[in-house]
Amino acid sequence: MKKSSISRRNFLSKSAVVGAAGVVAPAIISGCSRGPVPFKPVPEGKWLDEAPDGPVLKAGVIGCGGRGKGAAVNFLSAGPNLQIVALGDTFRDRLDDCKATIKEKKGQEVPEENCFVGFDAFQKVIDSGVDIIILATPPSFRPEHLAAAVAARKHVFAEKPVCVDPTGARSVMATALKAKELGLTIVTGTQRRHQRNYVANFTQVAAGAIGEIVGGNAYWNGGKLWHTPNNPTWSEMEWMIRNWVNWTWLSGDHIVEQHVHNLDVINWFTGKHPVAARGMGSRQRRVTGDQFDNFSIDFVFENGMHVHSMCRQINGCWNSVSERIQGTKGYTDCAENLYDLAGTEIWKYAYPLDDEGKPAKGKMKDPYVQEHIDLVTAIRTNQPFNELENTAISTMTGIMGRISAYTGKETTWDEMMNSDLKLGPTVFAFGPVDVPKEVPISGEAYVEKK
Amino acid sequence: MKRFLVWFLPGLIIGALLIIGGRKALDKTSTNEYCMSCHIHPAADNSWKRSVHYETQSGYRVACVECHLPPKGKGYLWAKGTTGLRDLWSYWTKDSASFDWNERGRLEHARIYTYESSCIKCHENLFPLKLTKAGEDAHLYYRQTKKTPDLHCINCHLNAGHYIEGYTHGSNKTFGSVSSSPKEIFTEPVKVAGFASFTEQIPNSSVSFKMVAIPGGKFNMGSPDDEPLRKADEGPVREVEISPFFMAEVEVTWDEYLAFYAQTAAEGKSSDTELMKSKRQLEADAISGATPPYGQPDQGWGMGKRPAISFTYHAAETYCKWLSKVTGKTYRLPTEAEWEYSCRGGTTTPYFFPGDPEKFEKSGFRAKLSKNDTAVINSYIIYRENSPSKTQEPSRVKANPFGLKNMTGNVAEFCSDWYQPDAYSNYSEELIVDPKGPDSGEEHVIRGGSFLDMAGRVRSAARNQTRTDDWLKTDPQIPKSIWWYSDCFNVGFRVVCEFDEKTGKL
Repeated sequence: MKKSSISRRNFLSKSAVVGAAGVVAPAIISGCSRGPVPFKPVPEGKWLDEAPDGPVLKAGVIGCGGRGKGAAVNFLSAGPNLQIVALGDTFRDRLDDCKATIKEKKGQEVPEENCFVGFDAFQKVIDSGVDIIILATPPSFRPEHLAAAVAARKHVFAEKPVCVDPTGARSVMATALKAKELGLTIVTGTQRRHQRNYVANFTQVAAGAIGEIVGGNAYWNGGKLWHTPNNPTWSEMEWMIRNWVNWTWLSGDHIVEQHVHNLDVINWFTGKHPVAARGMGSRQRRVTGDQFDNFSIDFVFENGMHVHSMCRQINGCWNSVSERIQGTKGYTDCAENLYDLAGTEIWKYAYPLDDEGKPAKGKMKDPYVQEHIDLVTAIRTNQPFNELENTAISTMTGIMGRISAYTGKETTWDEMMNSDLKLGPTVFAFGPVDVPKEVPISGEAYVEKK
Repeated sequence: MKRFLVWFLPGLIIGALLIIGGRKALDKTSTNEYCMSCHIHPAADNSWKRSVHYETQSGYRVACVECHLPPKGKGYLWAKGTTGLRDLWSYWTKDSASFDWNERGRLEHARIYTYESSCIKCHENLFPLKLTKAGEDAHLYYRQTKKTPDLHCINCHLNAGHYIEGYTHGSNKTFGSVSSSPKEIFTEPVKVAGFASFTEQIPNSSVSFKMVAIPGGKFNMGSPDDEPLRKADEGPVREVEISPFFMAEVEVTWDEYLAFYAQTAAEGKSSDTELMKSKRQLEADAISGATPPYGQPDQGWGMGKRPAISFTYHAAETYCKWLSKVTGKTYRLPTEAEWEYSCRGGTTTPYFFPGDPEKFEKSGFRAKLSKNDTAVINSYIIYRENSPSKTQEPSRVKANPFGLKNMTGNVAEFCSDWYQPDAYSNYSEELIVDPKGPDSGEEHVIRGGSFLDMAGRVRSAARNQTRTDDWLKTDPQIPKSIWWYSDCFNVGFRVVCEFDEKTGKL
């Protein structure tokens, strides 16, 4: 297991790759201060506010829902000479909506002959003569779409998470390595890795600002997410896909679908992934589907370190979407601040100033655009950048947590790497869907002894 | 200046000639023809010519030295020098026709002479686009464990450089389906009255096997401190009483195992993953048997009366459950104590026949010098010196005092106890009756040594253990099989049948 984990050095070299592309400067490894030397911040890297110019890059969007629409606009905002020339979705209305948005916001018209609808739309988009594929369908389809895009030697922007089960995770890991061998660039929607305050904070932590990392917390406690009520004209398949954030086989459950952001930050900062999960969770207020609406997982790392993760989608509770990492010399919120062990702030991210001359978070480059700037920059400067394997590992981390909560048992990374679990139906067609629909119940029922 | 030229120029020329000549010599001694001028092994030459490396997709022909020497700059010259010297020695002193080339082609031997660094030198990309799903999983696994020195490319790609007849590294769905010539099909198990040896009949098959009545008694389990080649886990010696039972005359044969396989084998591959399936109730009654193996469980040595191999401990236990069900008797794996009691058959010496382990252990040159007489051990057991490197039929050897064959040697045997090195010292020093070993553990006891073992490991008291992870190392299936070991072919088992002294029931 240790060999697969991504070492901090790997992460550093990755930052260095991007740095060489002019996005983040690599001056990181210098100041590993020991003893009571006052903390000296490491200089931050330089960021590009826009990708460099170059020949036209054409992208096709697969999955035209809310995120696909958003990613399309983000992509077109990343720099000059960028086009969206093909769209694919299971549903025509979603595709039309995306098409209209691109026209309205960016003035580009996607030609009708490049608009594809149906379960096989993805391959048609890939084959439509594009350079970049934007994948934003529900994550259950991602492993197949990623494999097809890489087989066609396309650069990819893939939304997180990148799979919903261990079989999918291994497939994506292999696809990531194939893409690496081919020199393809793949950016995934774990945008904290492209968020300037996070990257600056990581730079300090990697340089030893809080000492050795000894533990942490990850939170995605928020309100109820959306659901789509049934419509009598829809088949079961259509309703499930339109309501995908409520079905485990489509989304991976919210610990995978949403909380993967925070788990990815933990893996990023620690340079490791957990080797076991001991979790619990339940369903209290979710309206549709088969998912839980709360998880609490104790993640165990190889060196005995524990990180606690908590996620919830219930209205009217304590909310926080954040991470906290504890080191031997202090702790960090992974974003704006570093503190010493006494809780005194030792570093604060310098946000750009607003009109009144005050630091304003809102003035920081939108990370959803930044990730596309990084994507286009890597392609145009011919410095391949591939974060897919990291995201597969973080997605697998969430899957391991989910299974541990569903079963009420400790679940190990080894088990995940050796599991043949594959969710979802074997055939994709509109009609009834042959999947288990009951909400998982852990443990054994009490039986009265006679 | 002149003097300088007189010395320098010829030096320069000689040096240049040496370099050029040396390089020529290196090249010359690295051709296939040169290799084959000393390495006389027509079988290996032919199997190379039938392999994918002889005619690659790009038309390139991979030479002997490209696999059997490390890449240049990675120990090439050193390996060439040392193996060259050894080859010369063999060429002059040995007869290449006397080598068992089949054995040399097997993994344990092949990996010594095939350099992983040379595989990687050409096969740089472990994740080419055309890699299959099974290949992806296998190479992800390799990537994770690549620093483990014992996982070599040829663990899975053994036939890449030399063609192996019948070699499969894939699901072997037709395994065991070859039906033998029609014989009497037993409809009933044999009925047994009283405590006497009997021949069991497996219903709906033509297979029968002999069960020997083993009278109860007392014996000293373990080896005394002064026994030659003894290991610490064989002591301290404990006095043990064993109740009467029946033990199979021979290790479970392929005939017997295939009867089980044919009657219970699961269609295709049933999932072994418990995780999400916790809610699905398994049928309590039905015995679901082994899935088709991956590769070739009999190693191509033939089946029939040879002991069955390559199946897992779980499969052996399931076999016993199934056999109990179809015969109405109680079959199970022996306890370690029952096993040693049966093996000794009243003897207290290192073997159940006369002989000194230290003398038998000597082999090759030393054996010739000391003029060892191995006739006795050769007549009783199949071990490293007489196997040669594979299982043999029980008819090759004489029985022990209880009438049991191959108790030691041929294949090692699963016992029901958990293995602990200090199991004996945890027993009471008083007389112990029918001990069953530690309450829990990770790996099980195996006893008796095998055709791969030297004389010291086939003593009656020698103990060993299962190694589950190692034995599944190259199984590329996800999840790994619970029925077949990919990397263990020298362990089998022997059944015992319980006997209730009070009721006379089996």
